[in-house]
Amino acid sequence: MSILVQSLINGLNQGAIYALIALGYTMVYGILRMINFAHGDFIMVGAYTMFYTAPLMVSYGMPAWMAVILAVLVCTAVGILVERVAYKPVRGSGSISALITALAMSLFLENLAMVLFGGNPKTIMKIFDLPMIELFGAKIQMKYLLTLGIGLAIMIILTMFVRFTKLGKAMRAVPQDREAATIVGINVDRIITVTFAIGSALAAVAALMYCSTYPRCTTDMGSMMGIKAFIAAVLGGIGIIPGAMLGGLIVGLIEILVKVYLAPGWYEAITYGILIVVLLIKPSGILGKNTGEKV
Amino acid sequence: MPKNVKIAYVINFAGLLLLFAALYILFETGVFGTRTDYFKGIATTACYTIIMVTSLNLLVGVMGEFSLGHAGFMSVGAYASAVLTNMLSEKAVPGFALFLAALLAGGIAAAVTGILVGIPTLKLRGDYLAIVTVAFAEIIRVAFTNFEITGGGRTMSGIMKLSNFYWVFWVMVICVTVMYMYVRSRFGRTVKAIREDYIAAAAAGVNVTFYKIMTFTISAFFAGIAGAIYAHYLTAMIPTSFNFMYSAEFLTEVIIGGTGSMTGSVIGAAFLSALPEVMRAFAKYRMLGYSVVLVLIMIFRPGGVFGTWEFSLTRALRRVRRGLRKGA
Amino acid sequence: MKKMVSTAMALAMAASMAGGTLVFAEEEDQVIRVGAVCAMTGGSAVYGEGAQNAIDMAVEEINASDSAYKIEIVNGGAVADDAKDAKQAVNAYNSLKAEAPEAIVGSFFSAVTIPMAELAAEDDMLLLATGATNEQVTQIGPTIFRNCFIDPYQGKMAAQFASEQGFTSAAVIYAKDDDYSNGLKDAFVESAEELGIEIAYVGECTTTDTDFTAQATQAVGSGADFVYYPCFLDTVPLLVQQVRDAGFEGAIMGGDGWDGADLSGLEDYFVNCYFTNHYSSEDTAPAVQEFVSKYTEKYGDDSLNACAALYYDAMYMLVQAAENGGGSDTASLVSGMTEMSFSGVAGDIYLDENGDAIKPVVVNTYEDGQIKWLETIQPEG
Repeated sequence: MSILVQSLINGLNQGAIYALIALGYTMVYGILRMINFAHGDFIMVGAYTMFYTAPLMVSYGMPAWMAVILAVLVCTAVGILVERVAYKPVRGSGSISALITALAMSLFLENLAMVLFGGNPKTIMKIFDLPMIELFGAKIQMKYLLTLGIGLAIMIILTMFVRFTKLGKAMRAVPQDREAATIVGINVDRIITVTFAIGSALAAVAALMYCSTYPRCTTDMGSMMGIKAFIAAVLGGIGIIPGAMLGGLIVGLIEILVKVYLAPGWYEAITYGILIVVLLIKPSGILGKNTGEKV
Repeated sequence: MPKNVKIAYVINFAGLLLLFAALYILFETGVFGTRTDYFKGIATTACYTIIMVTSLNLLVGVMGEFSLGHAGFMSVGAYASAVLTNMLSEKAVPGFALFLAALLAGGIAAAVTGILVGIPTLKLRGDYLAIVTVAFAEIIRVAFTNFEITGGGRTMSGIMKLSNFYWVFWVMVICVTVMYMYVRSRFGRTVKAIREDYIAAAAAGVNVTFYKIMTFTISAFFAGIAGAIYAHYLTAMIPTSFNFMYSAEFLTEVIIGGTGSMTGSVIGAAFLSALPEVMRAFAKYRMLGYSVVLVLIMIFRPGGVFGTWEFSLTRALRRVRRGLRKGA
Repeated sequence: MKKMVSTAMALAMAASMAGGTLVFAEEEDQVIRVGAVCAMTGGSAVYGEGAQNAIDMAVEEINASDSAYKIEIVNGGAVADDAKDAKQAVNAYNSLKAEAPEAIVGSFFSAVTIPMAELAAEDDMLLLATGATNEQVTQIGPTIFRNCFIDPYQGKMAAQFASEQGFTSAAVIYAKDDDYSNGLKDAFVESAEELGIEIAYVGECTTTDTDFTAQATQAVGSGADFVYYPCFLDTVPLLVQQVRDAGFEGAIMGGDGWDGADLSGLEDYFVNCYFTNHYSSEDTAPAVQEFVSKYTEKYGDDSLNACAALYYDAMYMLVQAAENGGGSDTASLVSGMTEMSFSGVAGDIYLDENGDAIKPVVVNTYEDGQIKWLETIQPEG
């Protein structure tokens, strides 16, 4: 019993982290219809920023998590830079070209990090000093709840932002018809830059929560969890903000439960298998809207 | 077959023979000195990469869909062929026959997997299909880490060394030729029609699903052959080698070469498999340099270096002849 | 060609027997040309960094000393990159071979070393593997050696240690997609059962996992008092932390892959943790002390791990092999290295008839986050 409760808690925690990362994928995909494979690497950038700045924060008498502010700044800068330098020139040449550019940027960021920071995995200092509570014989760390809370909060804020603000409405207009959006006076380039800024800032927040649970940064951490989180976003319905949250939680829970109860060696295969089944039944993901293609 | 096409085939074959002879002489006379094995190794890698990339180009260029899981089919071919040659290694089968058997086993195993993957997934399109191929490739990788016959997650070693450059070169030539003929055939043209407008194609009575699965299967078949070459070239392999990044590398090579251009695939594959070697001089900046080159190519030639242009030996010869006539 | 080599060898031997009166060997022959391979890029680049630093250091020392043989690293002194990928390893091997080295050192992972070993056996090239712990590596040919442990040995020693310390029930968590992890796990499980330790739980993970909470919960639930985690340094801090957070209070142990893990801020978690290694940075032996202090001074301790120590030793082993064999050519090196005894940073080694290193295992523990020597287990026989 306690193993089940504990596994559910662990699964939700892991899922909440996937969800935070998935939000960034979904945000960019929703506006640009582009799979930004470098998103995981933005998280790596955020993690390294925190590795170097968290001790500085503490030495100035501030809590370690304040380092996230710097991480947000750095990630946003990197995100905008990547978008302007690499993505913008290929925007007109189809989704595959954009995808390959994203893959190349991902490779670039990883190797740049390796040259700058060295290959040794670095352990990040403790970011939150929160207690642990016991419930039904299971241990719940308060930081787990914090991760889930932040994930939900960001989900709600983003949904509201996209739905109700002028900028958010403009963002939704861009993927529907780029030309029409330009005609009604939306500066498409600016919208895309803003999207990337938001997506990268999200990456920094995801990095914060990731590092508080898995306090370690390596140069290739982004590509590994990036794919998982991306799968989560697709499962929930890519481009749909609550879908990313839902997908993340589902993937996290499935992984942990399969590891405990089914076949630990096959857990990745089962996650991917579920993704395939879901996409075959409902090609646009769990929360996605099925839209028939026009002739 | 019309006469000029026949002549074109003869001319191209002669051209390939010349290329092969040139390589043979270069490698055998020791022009490269101690570097011979190094260049031969790169050339062998380039050959199976060319097969991989051309086969992926069947999907990307001809069918208009893209797969991010091609390394999965490669691994099926690699492991299936290695299991077969391991079983036959005790028997006195001549090396070349064994090599052909390995290629065939790898190709067939991958093709069967291709059918199994293709039937459920090919109703998806675009990004979603790409994601499903990633998922299948990952499932294949996990499966191989769990199968005991291939050593589980451990390195499978002691595979016979059958892939030598001269054999691999001709296998590559045959594979690329067959794929080229497929693209030019009635089937290939139908698939192109589906790419352009699948609703119109379906309305015109084309069995869209059948053609898509067939193309997918053929593509997987050749990936399996490339896998068989890989296994019998390196003699040892581990499932983690066939990961997402390896699949992404192949797709990158297709795009860099130029979607829809077989020439682009061949040259893109050869260029990008040699590039990390050229970059060796940069030591730890090597992969950084590699990624910068990729980004730059994408920025300045987003449609790939060759676009949809195809090299034609007959055309080149004609141009040379015309040039000579003008000169005279 | 072979005839020439053997004639040269015979002449060299005669010369040395004559008491060195006949010095006809040129200066050039006193230099061992060595090629080195390791992962310099990608997720395992930390090993390559360590290898490069250690080789630079060793070569500088050897060439500045009055040693009869000097070392020259081909490829301009740089370690060739295999990126932990088999096909790149083959290319790296071939590119080094083009520079006519007399020995090749590397690589660190079995999966990339095996294809290289196949080529080395074909070319009669001396290959001194540094971290390829898979049993099969040295069986590929007579010119292949290694200075690291083989998997079964380290796993067995860990089980022996657990039994000595009085642990009765063990949980094993291992990475299924890695040779090293599989090898150590198998040997540990087998020996532990022989020694009467109950294997309460065997959990699988992958080399790229970061979440071990599922395995941790089950390990705790199984009631084990000992957790064995034979994986590499990048995931060790994560695992230890998650196992401890799950409420595990027993001992956690690993292999030489643990050496170099960054435990800053995790000092409390690493109490009652152990790992088997080639050496202990606390060892008072002058060779070890000098290596550790000099390395830290020059390059910091970021990449100071078992891999660095093994590459460092490899250089000295080649020098000794040249002395034993009486020449710096490959054939002399091979004959000098076969069944040689060597004493270096990573312990006193005896290379057995397979070319495998037989050497003592050092068990380390941690105190305030610092590695502490606990005991040295001598090899049997």
